[in-house]
Amino acid sequence: MKANARHHGKVTVVDLSGKITIGEGDIKLRQAVNSILDEGRKNVILNLGGVSYMDSAGIGELVACYKRAREKGAALKLLNPNGKVQDLLILTKLQEIFDIYRDEREALASF
Amino acid sequence: MGRNVRLRLESRIVYVDLVHEMTEGLARRMGFAKPMALNIGLAVREAVINAIKHGNGMDASKRIEVSFEQDDGLFRVRVRDQGPGFDWTHTSNPLDRENIFRTSGRGIFFMKHFVDRVEFQRRRGQGTEVVLEKKFEQAGRAGRGGEVIKRRKG
Repeated sequence: MKANARHHGKVTVVDLSGKITIGEGDIKLRQAVNSILDEGRKNVILNLGGVSYMDSAGIGELVACYKRAREKGAALKLLNPNGKVQDLLILTKLQEIFDIYRDEREALASF
Repeated sequence: MGRNVRLRLESRIVYVDLVHEMTEGLARRMGFAKPMALNIGLAVREAVINAIKHGNGMDASKRIEVSFEQDDGLFRVRVRDQGPGFDWTHTSNPLDRENIFRTSGRGIFFMKHFVDRVEFQRRRGQGTEVVLEKKFEQAGRAGRGGEVIKRRKG
């Protein structure tokens, strides 16, 4: 899994690619989000467009990131979950929890 | 492929990807469409994670055994651990409102969603075996197993 952060004013977009699974992807996701939150940034978008699938550990880490962001007074939103990732968000009912966007400009403007 | 394939591995998380990829590959060779092969791979992946984490307690000296069988219209995968066993009967529903924000507890839920049958069996003094089964649903694409189903339905 790869994670690349880019800043748009007060918003940080993290482009994720590969798979978010136990042992590597989940840890990289945690590190990427922790690093952004530790910098004091409050508006985070995880761009899932390049993520092929997640397992239960990956889904769990996504929830953990959401909770950590809230604890730090930040907001974490999702962009472009595709295919299997979207299926998993629907299956776990997490699509009811997360703010999910299809369009990056719309996501950026939502903060 | 042959009718049966068996793997015996140390309890290390690095092997989860290996088993997942092998499961998907075998499912594809049996004739499952790509999305279904991924589902089966994800289910087996969760069973292997369970076996390593909760069955064998991350003890690398304990082994997990994964066997793949093509059997009369079914793809069956068995995942065995050597641990003291874990209580699969008291898993909470991850869809309950109070569990939505939990960061764990979705593995068995995924297994049950992605294949047709999941069965846990405690083997006296020998750990736990999880059996996962997926039926060939599209006879025309399912290879030998599918032909069996087609004949029976016909």
